[in-house]
Formats: sequence, C-alpha cells, structure tokens
Amino acid sequence: MLESSAIKAKQGTLLDTLAPAADSHRPLVLTPTEDIRGFLTLHLGRTALFLVTCTSVLAVFLIFLFVIREALPFLAKFSIKEFLTSTAWYPEAVTPKFGTLALLVGSGYVTIVSIIFAVPVGILAAVFLSDIVSMRIRNIIKPIIEILAAIPSVAYGFFAVMVLAPWMQQKFGFSTGTNALNASLVLAVMALPTIISVSEDSISAVGRELREASYGCGATRMETIFNVVIPAAHSGIIAGIVLGMMRAIGETMVVWMASGNAAQIPSPWWDLSQSVRTLTATIAGDMGETEKGSPHYRALFAAGLLLLVITLCLNMVSEYFLIRAKRAGGKR
Amino acid sequence: MRPGVRIAIDKIFTVVAGASVVCLCLVLVAVLGPMLLRGGSAVAFKGTVEFRKMQLVLFGQGDEDKIAAESRQAEIARAKIYSTIEKFKGGIDSEALTEKAKQIYRQFGNDLGQTNMSAEDVAELRSVTRNIRDRLESAFASSNTAEVNESLAYVLNFKDDPRIKNTSAAGLIGLAEQYSKDIHGINLAERQRYYQELRQVEDTLIELLGPAPGSATPALMMNRFGATRWDLAQKLLGRLLWYEEWIKQGPGQPMVRRLTPRSQRFAGTELEGLFAYIQQNLPEMLKPRPTFYWQYFIDDSTPGHYFGGVGPEILGTLLLTIIAMLFVVPFGVISAAYLVECASDNFVMRIIRMSINTLAGVPSIVFGLFGLAFFVMFFLPMFGAPSKGCILAASMTLAVLTLPVMIRASEEAIRAVPQTYKEASLALGASRFRTFIKVTLPAALPGILTGVILSLSRVAGETAPVLFTGAVALGPVPKSIFDPTRTLSYGSYDMAVGDKLAAMVPHNQFGMVITLVLLILCLNTVAIVLRSRVFKKLAGH
Amino acid sequence: MATMRLLQSARGEHSQTVGQKRCEPIMKDNMRDKSDQNGQTAQCACPIISSKDFNFYYGTTMGVKNITMNINPCSVTAIIGPSGCGKSTFLRSINRMNDLIPGVRAEGKLIVDGQDIYDKRVNLVNLRQQVGMVFQKPNPFPKSIFDNVAYGPRLQGITKRTALDEIIEKSLKASALWEEVKDNLRKSALALSGGQQQRLCIARALATKPRVLLMDEPCSALDPLATGKIEDLISQLKDSYTIVIVTHNMQQAARVSEMTAFFCLGELIEYDVTSKIFENPSNKKTEDYITGRFG
Repeated sequence: MLESSAIKAKQGTLLDTLAPAADSHRPLVLTPTEDIRGFLTLHLGRTALFLVTCTSVLAVFLIFLFVIREALPFLAKFSIKEFLTSTAWYPEAVTPKFGTLALLVGSGYVTIVSIIFAVPVGILAAVFLSDIVSMRIRNIIKPIIEILAAIPSVAYGFFAVMVLAPWMQQKFGFSTGTNALNASLVLAVMALPTIISVSEDSISAVGRELREASYGCGATRMETIFNVVIPAAHSGIIAGIVLGMMRAIGETMVVWMASGNAAQIPSPWWDLSQSVRTLTATIAGDMGETEKGSPHYRALFAAGLLLLVITLCLNMVSEYFLIRAKRAGGKR
Repeated sequence: MRPGVRIAIDKIFTVVAGASVVCLCLVLVAVLGPMLLRGGSAVAFKGTVEFRKMQLVLFGQGDEDKIAAESRQAEIARAKIYSTIEKFKGGIDSEALTEKAKQIYRQFGNDLGQTNMSAEDVAELRSVTRNIRDRLESAFASSNTAEVNESLAYVLNFKDDPRIKNTSAAGLIGLAEQYSKDIHGINLAERQRYYQELRQVEDTLIELLGPAPGSATPALMMNRFGATRWDLAQKLLGRLLWYEEWIKQGPGQPMVRRLTPRSQRFAGTELEGLFAYIQQNLPEMLKPRPTFYWQYFIDDSTPGHYFGGVGPEILGTLLLTIIAMLFVVPFGVISAAYLVECASDNFVMRIIRMSINTLAGVPSIVFGLFGLAFFVMFFLPMFGAPSKGCILAASMTLAVLTLPVMIRASEEAIRAVPQTYKEASLALGASRFRTFIKVTLPAALPGILTGVILSLSRVAGETAPVLFTGAVALGPVPKSIFDPTRTLSYGSYDMAVGDKLAAMVPHNQFGMVITLVLLILCLNTVAIVLRSRVFKKLAGH
Repeated sequence: MATMRLLQSARGEHSQTVGQKRCEPIMKDNMRDKSDQNGQTAQCACPIISSKDFNFYYGTTMGVKNITMNINPCSVTAIIGPSGCGKSTFLRSINRMNDLIPGVRAEGKLIVDGQDIYDKRVNLVNLRQQVGMVFQKPNPFPKSIFDNVAYGPRLQGITKRTALDEIIEKSLKASALWEEVKDNLRKSALALSGGQQQRLCIARALATKPRVLLMDEPCSALDPLATGKIEDLISQLKDSYTIVIVTHNMQQAARVSEMTAFFCLGELIEYDVTSKIFENPSNKKTEDYITGRFG
C-alpha cells in the first residue's frame, strides 16, 4: 500500500514535468503566413508529383508519335491494302515489295499453335495448384513457375536453336530444326507462367461456398472444377489466355532464332515443320542492315505500328476480362 | 454414370493435372540442364598446357616459369612426331623434291656461266643436266615403281660422270640416291593419297598441338595455340586416329559414314606406329589439369569468343541495368506515391492508369524502334551528342520499358502498409508529407526493393530494345556512356546464330547464356526471399 | 445545488466563458479537492472541450447529431452506447481524424481550448499534438521502442539526444512501461505483448505533451490483466490530463470515469456524473441500456 502510493507520488512529480507547458508556442490557429505557406507547399507539391506521374502518359504519347512519324511517309506512298494483304516481302529488290501478309500469318500461326499447347497444360496446372495440392507443395511449385517466367527470352531462343532444333531434326527427320513447331513449343513455355498465374488467381478467388455447394451435392472434385469453378472463374482465365497471347505475339528473340525466317505461308497449312517468319523477327532482323530513312526502314516502322496496334487491342480485351473477373469476384 | 466410374475419372484427372505440373518441371530441367552442364564447362574444365600458354600470352595470367618448364616437357614428348613426319615427308613430298631439283639445276646453270668453257660445251652440259633433271622430276612424279626405278637408274648412271661429279649438279645425283632409299617400302601408287592424308594429319596436329616448331607464327590468334581444353583435344584426337569417308549406298539412299583407323591407312610406312604413340602419350604432350577458370567472368575475349571470357559483356549488362534503374526508380516510386496518396478517381487518373497499362503491353521490339527513333535520332542530337547507338540511349529505352513494372510493384508495396500506421502518425501531429516520408516509405521499402530487383532482372535479360539502341556484338570496352557496348543478352544471340567460329567453342556459347541466366536467377531469388520476409513482417503486425 | 450547477455546465450554459480564459494545468491543485466529495468539479467553469449543436455526416449518412456537451479539464469522461451510435465518430472529430475519410462534413461548433477546430484556419498539426489519441488496436510503428516514443518530440523539433532521452524516459514511466523495457529501448516495438504495445502507444501519445488524451476503446483488444493495468494508468493520468474514453464496457466506464455520456443512434441522450448515470439515470433509454435491455 505504501509502495503504490510512493510510486503514485513519484509518477505525480513525473507527470508534472510531462504536463503540457504554456501553449503559446503551439497556437491552434494558423498565422496568415503559415496558412499561405501551407497552401502553396501543398499545391505545388501535389502538382510536382502529378507531373512526375504524367511521364507515363508522356511516354505512351511519344511512342505513338515517333513510331507513326517514321512510318507515315511509307504509309502515304505505298498502298496500305498491298501492305496488309500481299505476301510478297522483297524490300531490297529493284522494285521493292512490302507485303506483310506472310509475316502476319507467321505471327498468328506460331501464336495460335503455342496457345493450343499452353492452354490445356496451363489450366490443368492452375487447377492443380489451387485445388488439389496443399499450401506447402504449392509454395514449392510456385517458385518453379516464377523461374520459368524469369528466364530471359534470348535464353529460350538459345535453347530452341542449340538444343531443340538439332534434337528435332534428328528425332523427326525434318529438313530443318528451326521451324514453326519449334518456335511454337518454346513460345508455349514462355506463355505458360502468365496463363497459370492469372488463371490460378481467379480460380482461387472463387469462394469456398461455391465449391462446398457442389461437393454437398455429391460431385467429385473434377466435376466440381469443370462444372462450377472454371465457369465461375472464366473471365479471369480468358484474361490470362489473352495475356499469354500478347506475350507470344510480341516475342522477338525466340522467333527470330527458332522459326527459320522464311517469309512464306506454310503449304499445307497444317505442316508445322516448315519455316515461317514473324513480324517481330522481320523488324529485328532487317533493321540492322537498313539505311536510315529508306523506304525499307520506314516499312519496318509501319510493321512496328501494326504490331503495336494488334497488341494494344489484345491488351484492351484482356483488361475488359480482368474487370469482369474483378466484378464477378466482388459480387461474392 | 455409375459412381465408380466417376470416381475413377476423378482420380485420372488428378493424375493428369499432376502430370502437367511434372511436365513443367521437366521443361525447366530440359531448358536449364544443357545450359548448366555445357556452360559450366566454360569455367570448370580440364585445361591443357596450351591453355596456360594462351592465358599467359593474351591475359598475362599464370606463372611464367612453371609454364615454360611444362612447355619444354611437352615439346620433348612431341618431338618424335615431328621427326617421324619429316622423314616420311622426305619420301613422298614430290613437290618439294621437284623444287629442289629445279633449284640445283639453276645453280648449276649459274656456275656454268662462271667457268670459261666453250659455248658448245656449256650447251651440251646444260642439256645433259636438263635431261637428268627431267628424268628425276618424272621419277618424283610417277607412281609406277618400275618407271621410277628406271628413271632413277638413268640418273644414277651419271654418278661417276666427270663432267658432273664435282659440280653442283652432283646434288641431283644425291637427290636420286636419297630418293631411292626413301621410297624403299613405300607403295608409290599410294603416294598421292599419302600426301593428301598427311596434309589432313598435319592440319589436325596443328589444331591439336599448335603450329609445328620452326614454322611461321600464324596471323590469327586462334591458330597460335593448340587445343586448350582436354575435351577438345579428345575430339581432335578422334579426327587424327580415324579416317572418315562417306560411301554412296545406292540411288536415292543416304550416304553412310565409314571409319578406318589411320594406322591402317598408313600401313607399312613409318607413320603406322605414330598414331598409337600419339594416343598413348597425349597427356604428356598436353599436360591436362583440372582448371577453375573463374577469370571467365572478367577476361575479355578474342574476336569471335574463341579464347577468353565474358567480362566486357557482364560489364555492359551491368552498366545498362544500373543506369536504367537510376532513371526508373525515382519516377516509379514518386508516381506510385502519388497514385496511392493523392489520387482521386477522376478522368485524369483513369487516363494515367490506362497509360501505365498500355506501356506494360507494348512489345519489346517496338520499344527498340521507339528507342531508335526518339532517343538515338532525336533526343541525343538535341544535346549535341552523335546520333548513334550508345549506353545512354539503350538505358533510357530500358527505363521506359520497365517503368510500369516499377510503378506497379511500388504501388503494391505502398498500399500494403497498414492504414493504422498512417493514422497513428497523423494523430501525433505529423503532416501528410512527413507521415509518408517517415512512416509509410520506410515500411514500404522492402517491397519497393523487391520491385527494383525484379525490374533489374527483367532489364538485364532484354535483347530487343537494345538491338538498335546500343548493343553491339563486337567492339571495345566502352569508355563513356556515349559508346555502344557488348551485352550478355545480345552476345548470347550472336553466339547462337553467328558464324561457324562460335560453333567451334560450344562451351563459350553456353557459357555466355548461362552467365546471363544465372545472373537473372540470382536476382530473382533475392527478390523472392526478400518478398517472403516482407510478407512475414507485415503479416506479423 | 452542486448537482444543478454540474448539469448546467454539462449543458454548456457557461460557454461564454470559453475562449476568454485558458485553463491552466495548475488547476489540478483545485481538482484534488474533488476527490473528497463525490465527483464535484464545481471549481472549474471553463471546459476544455465544448461542443454546441455539433453534427457530423459521412456523405449523406449522419454520424452524430446535435451534440452539445462540455468536458472539463483534468477529468475522465467516458462515452458509452451501443454499436454504431456515433461514439467513435464524435471522439475522432475532436482531433479531426475523421478528415482521413473522403466526403465528410461537420456542422455546428466544436471548441477545443478556446478555438473552434472546424474553422478553416486551424493548425491541424498543433491541434493533433495537443489532442493525442490512443487507438483501439495497438498500432506501434515498425520501429524500435525508442523511435516510436521519440516520433512525436522529433516532429516538434527536439533532436538533441539528451532531451529526447529525458522525454522518452518520462513518457515510458508515466505509462508504467519503463521498468519492463528500459534495458533495451532498441528492441522492435512489434516484439512487445499486446498490453505492452498499448502502453507504448500511450507513452507515444504522452510524449507530445498533449492537454487532452482521446482513447478509442483502448482495452478491447487486450486481456483482463493488461486491461487492469491500463485502467490504473488512466486513474493516475487524470490528474494532469483531460481524458475522454470511448468504451463499450460499462463496468470500465463506471470504474474509471467521473462523467459519463450516453450516446444512442448518433445523439447524446444523457451526460452526467458517472454515479448518477449508473445508479439513477434520468432518461429511460439510458436505463434500458444500463440494465441491458438493449445494446
């Protein structure tokens, strides 16, 4: 008893010195100068931050501006119809021909085939990670997928041309190991991590209630996943697939090294062992030898513009599906 | 469907799904495995005395005395090869012999001019010697033993001829004598074949052991040393020991490879035993030793990467990434701070967010085009710099490429800081700016750092944006940021699809690409570890 | 008589004296008198916090309405009421923490230490230094114990090590945490137990030398032992600080406070001496809440 009162007394004296002093130096009202200064710093600071943030907008604007600027003289002189629909790409001929149809078909071909390979594996893997294995195993497998995603494209291209091509030539007896099949396989591997992670996120976001309801009706796990979970997560999965497609169609190094670089449409169309050439590989390959300002140079910029437009459309599609997925997730 | 069937299908599905993940792991192993194994041998391999000599000459590395001692030992072991070959050559190198004969004849002709014989005598002697020379040449050229012996006999008849005996023309007789001795036992019909195959053997020996002692130093650096690696030496030994020919099978059928031991090809000659000798004594001739060539990451390389390491490439990659980060980190963090702290959901904000998403979706080659059109051709000349590809242009292009990554990672990190910290700080009387600087930013720093490292790893691996803006495959170490540079990424591309020279050094090809991959994986591992620590720290609150 | 004057002052009839004279903390000498009688605070007639017809809106939703009450210096005032009745809203209005929420609006007068704090020219930084807050869930910064408590003084410009050491020691002693942490002030604050963290937050708030301490359900996240320690602390602090504590625990309100306000559905139903509220409430709703018929 005595002790506690002694402590209390001690605390009392301490509290004296902690007690608030005369508060003339901490007025609750702002002086006019303080007021103006605060106002200025707040708004100037905000504006400065805003301007820095606007560099992203500036960057996009400049990209479009300069690519169009270099491409415009070409587009004005040569017919756009021929540019898009002719398969004759002979930029260094006496009368140069700039038809990108073969290149567009090449890009589309390898993209679609790679997606055909990647989507089943990707969705199965996403389902496996989210529904079938425990958290611990998932945390072991996720880094593996992150490593796959981290490997640079030039390393994949190296693998395609140094390891996969000779093996393919030996095993299947193709005339060349660098062909559409080679490029598509490696592009599929590159698109997989994107598809898996986005799909897995949206599948995990489907609430437990939906799954429990299905199990409660006596469905097996596979039936639950295919009949309930995947349809519920379909927006996110589609977004993941479109993002994978974006990755594949914008990829340069792998296709430059592994697709064979023959500007032709394979005949018959299902023959994957033929070489193709993509838009990206053309730009990368031709630019080094092109004179700055020549029609060839400008044609390459026009091809780049075409590529930009295509990927941006895909970007908007994926955004749309991502927003739909978020909205659907929010409703739960 | 019966429940049993459904359960069975479910089990199969589980297995298939698991198989897809196993497939992914296998792909990872398939991609990284060969790179690691073959690239690893760029650093850890069995190096020969040629390697140590090369390192001394080109890079000044190694103990000069030790290497000199080793070289001497190797030379002693090799001496027998060269002497045997010389001897053999003596018997079959008809060109050299013909040349010698012509020389002797010319010398004799000069001598004749010095004497004071009558013109008819000179002419007669000349024609006689000419005959001798011609018969000798035909003896050298012919593959018919009978013919050769006949010609030689004709020449040897003149051995005791007083007109020739003590003159320089006697050299011709000497040649004939030597020749008849040398060709003893040689199947002359085979001489042409011997000559050709000996050329093959000699060329392979030059690749294996370096230029023969006494011959001129080759112009190209790569030819001045023998096999620097034991595995390469083994490959060359195979070429040395076995003669390869392609046999036609029949119409429309592929050709078949047939290998015959070279000792067989040179059966009966002095060279027959040489090959077994070489095979047995190769370790003594090359002195292989396990070598850990860590300087691989520092040394420059000879053109084409035949010798040396990837030092300049690593330097180039590091320069590009660090300078790009210097641009990107302030812009990224400040933009993220604004988006989290000050942004309201109005039209301008939506444009900004759309721009960031757009930037993230632009393909890397288009960034390359943009970098070329804007930074190289427009921006640099504005400041008086020459409009050519350089480190500065490439770094700025990479900075724009990685800006959305940085903004997204920073935004996530800043948003993850619990609101309670902000409240507590404001309740203590801190302004919003001080709250951000003193509380939010330090708490978000690990997350931002993770973002920086992920951006770094992305930038290091990008090839397409630097193709036209600053990367070269061949060139000196850059002296300033206005010079172009070699990089690991472009170098890997160049080694894979470049010329035949690169194919001769697969360890360097794979070495460069695995250096790049390991660099990036290290960075990513650091980021993953950092992220899990951050997660634990913030989750613990 | 005294009760009448108390009720009058509670209803703000002496609001005219507000703003004319600042209450000195030396008032506490006078305050000690009150411990003899049953909660007589008649000595002081200048409330430190005073609200008149104060309304607060979140967008279009009403938070609190027509709040008119005076809080005297160096006292403990408890605000009780069922969930969602606006207690926290009103508390957070006193140091303008509600400004963090977008779209809020205040009407009426809320006067702290003679100044209407919803006036446009108010110096928020100084206001929040003088009106400290302790939150429901302990929220020490992810820094060391020392840096946590030193945060406030450093904001005020005190950077000299000796001065900081002194303030920190005093704050930690005042919040009864000093003995437990004095050996290692560099330890991370997140390593302390819940009760210790809350006492750290109190020390942190005290370090800025505030005049008022607002406490928003400070013990709801703590175990009974820690709660008891905090309640003891409050009893000691009230000699020098004005404390306003929001609590859903009526027994706690009865234990620590001198005045109690009962809020319901955003309105102040009754504000009176604690013993009266709990033993003999004037309003039926208060009685219903106290006796547990709702809440």
